Amino acid sequence: MMELLQFSLCFLGFNCFALAKFNHFRDVFKKKLTEKQRNSFLASGWISILLSLVLCVLSDAGYGALLFCGYMALSVLMLMILYSFTVSWVKHVSVFTMSILLLSGFSVMIL
Amino acid sequence: MHSQSLDAVTTNRPKNTAKKRSVSLSYRVAVFLRFVAAIIGGYAFTSVLISLLAVLLPLNKLDSVLLTTTLSVFFYCCVFIWVFAVKSLKTVWITILLTTGGQLLALSLIKDWL
Amino acid sequence: MKESFFRSMTWLHTWVGLLVCWLLFLIFFAGTISFFKDEITIWAKPETHNVQHQAQRVQSQAEQINYVFAQLQQQAPNSLSWRINLPEPRNPVLSYGFAEPKQPGQRRAPFNYTHLDPNTLEQLPEPRETKGGNFFYRLHFDLHYIDVFTARIIVCLASLFMLVALITGIVIHKRIFKDMFSFRANKGSRSWLDAHNVSSVLALPFHIMITYTGIITLIFMLFPYPAETVYENGLRQMFDEALPINKRAKPSEEQRPMVAIKDVLDQIYTKSPNADISYVFVRNANTASSQIVVYLATGKEVVDNGPRYLFNGVTGELEASSGEDWSASAQFYDSMTALHSGRLAEPLLRWLYFFCGVAGCAMIATGCIMWAKRLRERLKAEQKPSFGLKLVESLNLITLMGLPLATSAFFIANRLLPLELAGRADKEILVFFLTWLAVALSAVSSIEKRHWRYNAWLNAIACFLVPVVNALTTDGNWITYLLTNQWALFGVDSAFICAGVLFLLQSKKIASHKAVINKAKPSKNRVLKEQQG
Repeated sequence: MMELLQFSLCFLGFNCFALAKFNHFRDVFKKKLTEKQRNSFLASGWISILLSLVLCVLSDAGYGALLFCGYMALSVLMLMILYSFTVSWVKHVSVFTMSILLLSGFSVMIL
Repeated sequence: MHSQSLDAVTTNRPKNTAKKRSVSLSYRVAVFLRFVAAIIGGYAFTSVLISLLAVLLPLNKLDSVLLTTTLSVFFYCCVFIWVFAVKSLKTVWITILLTTGGQLLALSLIKDWL
Repeated sequence: MKESFFRSMTWLHTWVGLLVCWLLFLIFFAGTISFFKDEITIWAKPETHNVQHQAQRVQSQAEQINYVFAQLQQQAPNSLSWRINLPEPRNPVLSYGFAEPKQPGQRRAPFNYTHLDPNTLEQLPEPRETKGGNFFYRLHFDLHYIDVFTARIIVCLASLFMLVALITGIVIHKRIFKDMFSFRANKGSRSWLDAHNVSSVLALPFHIMITYTGIITLIFMLFPYPAETVYENGLRQMFDEALPINKRAKPSEEQRPMVAIKDVLDQIYTKSPNADISYVFVRNANTASSQIVVYLATGKEVVDNGPRYLFNGVTGELEASSGEDWSASAQFYDSMTALHSGRLAEPLLRWLYFFCGVAGCAMIATGCIMWAKRLRERLKAEQKPSFGLKLVESLNLITLMGLPLATSAFFIANRLLPLELAGRADKEILVFFLTWLAVALSAVSSIEKRHWRYNAWLNAIACFLVPVVNALTTDGNWITYLLTNQWALFGVDSAFICAGVLFLLQSKKIASHKAVINKAKPSKNRVLKEQQG
């Protein structure tokens, strides 16, 4: 479960970065991105990614850092495919990732 | 190598001699010399630099050797890129020869080779 | 000045990349496959397929070592070296071997191996002679036919070029994060540029890491000078100091009985009660100078070798140990090798490694295709393509399509070549290179789009043939592997099926683009498929 939590945090972080870009935001929400939204996307993106990195390093030190690099690569590829070919799915996928994140987060806390 | 391709990148060549479109012999020689400077010159420079560092670093023998050897690729790479970033080929060769020679001299003074 | 700096960096990126891109593709391709070299070796030896993983692997090690020692004492009491490979999570087989006396003219003494089922300690049938995954592993730095030293120098130089290309690539790609999530499909060389950028950026830390650490694994061959300067006796003395456990005792003729192996194991278990032993070596068995070396597994530490202990074979005294209290520099160096080989990786990380390797292959392949494509687009209507352009296009096809085909051929040959063939392992490798040569010969004249399509078809067929031939010639098949949880075998077969599907897609894609441009236009998936092979 820990791995899932780390990966979903990383994925969500990069997703926020993508949404903080004007063209991607417009494609997804059909609206113009305001400066305030942009900043909050960037901030939550950074928080999420750093959290993922911290979790990786805390649980497995150097090995975790390696895993984190792998997570980054995988998330960016998935997002690239998502935003280039199936933009309409972005909202659903984001909601789905959020729920995975919450579920895995809870199970990590409980176990 | 491939005349077509060389032609295509004529405008991108490091020296600002892009006025003539044809690939002159001197241009090819210059490129070749630059690669020689980068590969062989860079190798010589790096070898002497890391040997000198290994002697000078205030660590025990094994540590200084391992550390400098591990960093060697980084130095080599920097020199390689620098060779292509500098405009004049003459500057490149003079700098490499002088610095390598100087370090070699320092190294041989320290190690009593002379 | 700034402008010309970027220009020269662009120039350097193009040329440094282009000069070695085909060789780099070979290195990356074979290297990526070797992340699964143990799994491939298991696949290549069907005789060992029925061995089950043990439930109590670590706990039964002492018993296994005791048993094997008794066997070795009977079979080869006077051998110069014994070796015991204990079952590990990736390989359930227990095997041991001893060196036979060296014949004149041989560089190394041949090793006689026996394979056991660790659950029953029964001997398994002699596996077929094959290099398995080790072939790809050696290929990625020894290049097979070339002399080892020359090959390694070439590989080092190519890696250096790669590193230079990576750094200059970062410098020239100023908007590195701006277009990270965009890919413009069906736009000619523009799409190839996007694919090149995406595959480089998404695994950039991996690319830099794997290239740098790759050179580091061969560094003492490239730069022996610091060691030569600092130590009187150069490299040898340094290695002796760094790894005292490798120090060999002088062989002696005097016969002395060895200490009971149980005493040695007891010392290890007192040190670390849960020790997971990987290998045990014995040098100069049953002589006054006998030595016993025990290797422990690394666990999740980023080190290349776990703790190692050297015992005196006669007295059972601990003489040296490595990997316990290293200085920062030694750890730094060792972790670099560990990062490169990824031997420590557990399945999730191993797949991520593999995935990043595939991205690396994609980066190199898209780079060379993009380059050829740009020149094509720049040609004027009546202009004939130059010799250089034709050469680049041929080499692209030969490397990008020939290598995966040769790989499939290697796997098929492993199943189809007769078992009693003399020099069987080398014949398998010969099949690999002959297939590649055939692709090369078909591509000497001129490359048209149909060549890419034919090759995609051929590759797809070859990829699907691998699991089929496997099912026909061995007891198991893709479905039974899934049902019996034989993940290594299931993984290899699945990889080929995925690769086959991707090659099919590629051939469709090329066909549908027939009318657009009169030039080879492989889909970007191609690179992915190749990798899977």
